Amino acid sequence: MQRNRPPSAQAIGVLRALAADPARWRYGYDLVTEVHLKTGSLYPILVRLADRGLLETSWEPDPGSRPPRHLYRLSPAGREYAAALAAAGTSRPVPLPRTRLSEG
Amino acid sequence: MAKQLVLMMCPVGIAVALLWRYARTVPAAPGVRDDVPVRLLRWAVGLLSAGRAEWGQAMLGELDHLEGRGQRWRFAVGCAGAALLLPPWGRAAAAVWAMAALAAVAADLDASLVVRYRLGAGDWVFGVIMLVFVASFALAAATLLRRPGVVVPGLAGGLLVALAWLAMRGFTFYGAIAPMTAPFTPLVAMVAVPALVGVVGTLRAGTAAAGRRIARLAAISAGLALYLYGVIAVVFLGATGPPADPGSTVGYIVSDRLSGNMIANLVAIPLVTATIGWAAAAATARLRPRLAAEVASVPVTASGPGTGLDPVPAPPEAVSAVGAPSWPRTAWLLLLCAAVAAAVFLAAVSGLRG
Repeated sequence: MQRNRPPSAQAIGVLRALAADPARWRYGYDLVTEVHLKTGSLYPILVRLADRGLLETSWEPDPGSRPPRHLYRLSPAGREYAAALAAAGTSRPVPLPRTRLSEG
Repeated sequence: MAKQLVLMMCPVGIAVALLWRYARTVPAAPGVRDDVPVRLLRWAVGLLSAGRAEWGQAMLGELDHLEGRGQRWRFAVGCAGAALLLPPWGRAAAAVWAMAALAAVAADLDASLVVRYRLGAGDWVFGVIMLVFVASFALAAATLLRRPGVVVPGLAGGLLVALAWLAMRGFTFYGAIAPMTAPFTPLVAMVAVPALVGVVGTLRAGTAAAGRRIARLAAISAGLALYLYGVIAVVFLGATGPPADPGSTVGYIVSDRLSGNMIANLVAIPLVTATIGWAAAAATARLRPRLAAEVASVPVTASGPGTGLDPVPAPPEAVSAVGAPSWPRTAWLLLLCAAVAAAVFLAAVSGLRG
């Protein structure tokens, strides 16, 4: 059973970075440098956001012979959540959605 | 003498296994990175559950695009740590917690004995070494327990090995610290039981790789359980019991028992069990060739944006196969062969003289 707890400060940082340009696909390492996170923290956050339907993921098109890179951006639900987070401010944490939201 | 010979042959067996593995590894294709960070991360993402395999590939894909040795190392180590901890763990979680608790209790009791009997600096050094061993065992168990099909046969094998050793020691605390006359030859616990674990584990799991992991988990769990039993024996007996040595102080006897317990149960028994079980698993797979094919531990997914995540076979660099060795590899192989030959020669000479 997933807990309905508020996001961590690091998760909020990732959400804000993604919300700054919500239409743009981002690489994982770009988020690491932008939010000043350790890589060991980033991926668990991304996994958690994706599990809750706040994140869209995709694979880089045509990577050639190299391994494809994963791309991330906020889903519509994620954009709404990031907007709610910005409106509430940091003093009143907004709980993460409990279950994965439906598409669109 | 047979016990000493078996112990001496274990490092030789490990060297042979490494040699065999090294000889069968193909160098990475040109243009494909295959440095240590990639190997570390590839190993770690292999521990992820099937539902998280996509994230493992995301980490590997990102690492491939990073330049700079330090940057690549930092990324790989961070991601490997995340992969080690990333849920879901399923049934393995309970087993990992149980192993960690076992290790913590044993280490705690050992340290309490050092304090209680006011042992010297040498015992504190031994205590630190013990902590390193116990922590390594717990970490190794945590990674092995996450592999599919390993938990039950591995822990059952460990229980069997531990019971064999305890039976040999008469199921007594005295037997744990001063081995009593065994009702059967020690080779049963040293060779027959680990070999049985390796064979049955391989047949049950269906692959040689899983059989070897089962043997390793059995070695680790048996070592930890026997170590805990030995420490509890010292807690109860202190300096009393056989062998009688009126010239020794209480501190000396306790210290001797603690260090003996550590060497026997955290070094010798796991080493022998893992090596014999590993060899038995490899032999079983060789005798039944359909078991030899190893399943790639990292399910690879590669998809373009907007498409499904269709699994595709592991990349060529992730799969071992026979290939033409390059010159530095040949040199390494020759060196390893020389080392193995020297070790076999020394073991044979020692055995003949003993």
